[in-house]
Amino acid sequence: MNTSEIAGVIAQYGSMDSTRDAILTLREAGFEDLEIYSPIPAPDLEEAMGIYHSPVRLWALIGGITGCTLGFLLPAGASLAYPLVTQGKPIVSLPPFIVVMFELTVLLTGIFSLFAMLVHARKPKLKLAPSYRREFSVDRWGIFVPADPGRRAEAERVLGETAALSLEVTA
Amino acid sequence: MPGRTPTDGGDGLMATLANRIDSRLRRGNPLPTLADANEDISRPILVPSWRYAALLSVVIAGVLLGGAAWAWQIYRGIGVAGINHPVGWGLYITLFVFWVGIAHSGTLISAILYLFRSGWRTTINRAAEAMTIFAVMTAGLFPLIHLGRVWYAYWLFPYPSQRMIWPDFRSPLVLDVFAVSTYFTVSLIFWYTGLIPDLAALRDRFRGWKSKLYGTLSLGWQGTVREWVHYRRAYLYLAGISTPLVLSVHSVVSWDFALSIVPGWHSTIFAPYFVAGAIFSGVAMVITLMVGLRFAFGLEAYLTEYHFENMAKLLLLTSLIVGYAYAVEYFLAYYSADPIEQESFLWRARGAYQGPFWIMVFCNVVVPATLWFRKIRRSIPALFVISIFVNIGMFYERFVIIVTSLAHEYVPSGWGLYTPSWVEIAILIGAFCWFYMWFLIFAKLLPTISIAEVKEHLEHGKEHGHAEAHAGHPGEYE
Repeated sequence: MNTSEIAGVIAQYGSMDSTRDAILTLREAGFEDLEIYSPIPAPDLEEAMGIYHSPVRLWALIGGITGCTLGFLLPAGASLAYPLVTQGKPIVSLPPFIVVMFELTVLLTGIFSLFAMLVHARKPKLKLAPSYRREFSVDRWGIFVPADPGRRAEAERVLGETAALSLEVTA
Repeated sequence: MPGRTPTDGGDGLMATLANRIDSRLRRGNPLPTLADANEDISRPILVPSWRYAALLSVVIAGVLLGGAAWAWQIYRGIGVAGINHPVGWGLYITLFVFWVGIAHSGTLISAILYLFRSGWRTTINRAAEAMTIFAVMTAGLFPLIHLGRVWYAYWLFPYPSQRMIWPDFRSPLVLDVFAVSTYFTVSLIFWYTGLIPDLAALRDRFRGWKSKLYGTLSLGWQGTVREWVHYRRAYLYLAGISTPLVLSVHSVVSWDFALSIVPGWHSTIFAPYFVAGAIFSGVAMVITLMVGLRFAFGLEAYLTEYHFENMAKLLLLTSLIVGYAYAVEYFLAYYSADPIEQESFLWRARGAYQGPFWIMVFCNVVVPATLWFRKIRRSIPALFVISIFVNIGMFYERFVIIVTSLAHEYVPSGWGLYTPSWVEIAILIGAFCWFYMWFLIFAKLLPTISIAEVKEHLEHGKEHGHAEAHAGHPGEYE
């Protein structure tokens, strides 16, 4: 959702529980496209929003498999390109290569996880959303309900029935 | 932190908060708030103080001393160092192994204790992770310093060249390059990922250029649920992969020795022996640094005796493992019926380097045994002193393993002693100052305690009742 161009209502909450209840109320009332802000990790709110999966897991797996494959191809290829027998071991000797395979598996899983997180969370972002408030990184939870003028009153009414500490209408 | 369910432990922090709540009640202020945590932890950041400036100046002077000694070594050649036949690995490799070891407990606390849902890690993991990164940065210097002709360091990396020469991937020294560089990169990613929400909190706390600085570093983090869901996954996977990584890195470092045929090195116990020693020395360094942070920044409410007691227990456990490894080494030498191996170990305890050997035993086995007493485990000054002893003892352990083995190999004509030169001593001082310089910079620029994690526990305590949270609950995996 691009909240930079949408008008709506911002509600602030003082706890995770009250925010979760508000999300459920809003979704029951037919408001699905919500932006939720939380100062702390929010598994309860993810559940309330119906978000259960993240594609980061797939990217982590792809990174791991890529790293493991590279971790074999690099030492095997290098050893074949410069076939010097050392310590009487075969040119392509798997046991020492397992260390490189393991390290590159870990390395690429980590790098892929980081970039997947950034890409899917749409980071880096130069400007904060207009619906973002400084309090959302301190001690407040926020719900932004994008609503055109026709539905704004209804959004305000539904939010007014929740435990919102404040309501703010953005044009 | 992320991925924690509301029923997670957190008893350590709750014990902290219990003290805090009590003190606030006495002052007529009933409950700590999330805003308090935000304010308390970020207060020392970017606040100038002459004490800090003086301390930073001292360590920078130390770094310059070490840098000058290294420059002299590059100018005159590696001959200015004391390493020579037969002891070709001296203080530089000792310090490499020592600093890689120091790094390990940071990952243990941040990753392994995270997966085990140990709530007490919450207030110490950030600084421990920072310590890991700075320790690896320090360790990484020593192979370069030891090389002598540092400008050929790139030969260690596999790259296609006109000479068509590739590194030998059967050599543990090449495997070490992969292990240490992977460890550094993944630790950095893990640390930075954990910092992102806190950087956003700092962005919102400050105004002007400070806000811009932290805003840039936080990459525009807003804490939306859609951000958290990806963040929590990434953090979980990073913790998951860091756990076997930390065990692998010092194992690979130990194989630098164990894969040779030098008596005293050629041993199958080296990998677990080195990993236990690494965690032992790392926990000691965490205690040393945390005591300093606690007093310098007034974080007594967050870093309590409870946290230090838990670290003391880890120290005691790893001390026992290390002490057992010392005994097993001697037993293996005896049981092998190999006169060279037996001579090597007898010489360690009775030869020219008996001083370092007995310092090692005293500092790593005898002194930590006092931690059996609860009173000592909960005494922060006592723990500080013990942690210094362990730091010294672990430095000597690396020295004893490396130097005594090389100095007393198979034939008497190959025996010889090693004494560090002034250049090596100056670089040793420079290395410690280099490490503390980065730590001091970190302590002034970034939150030394994870703000988001502390707030998560506060919220948990608020919603589920203080008494319940204090008791702690077994965590659940996602």
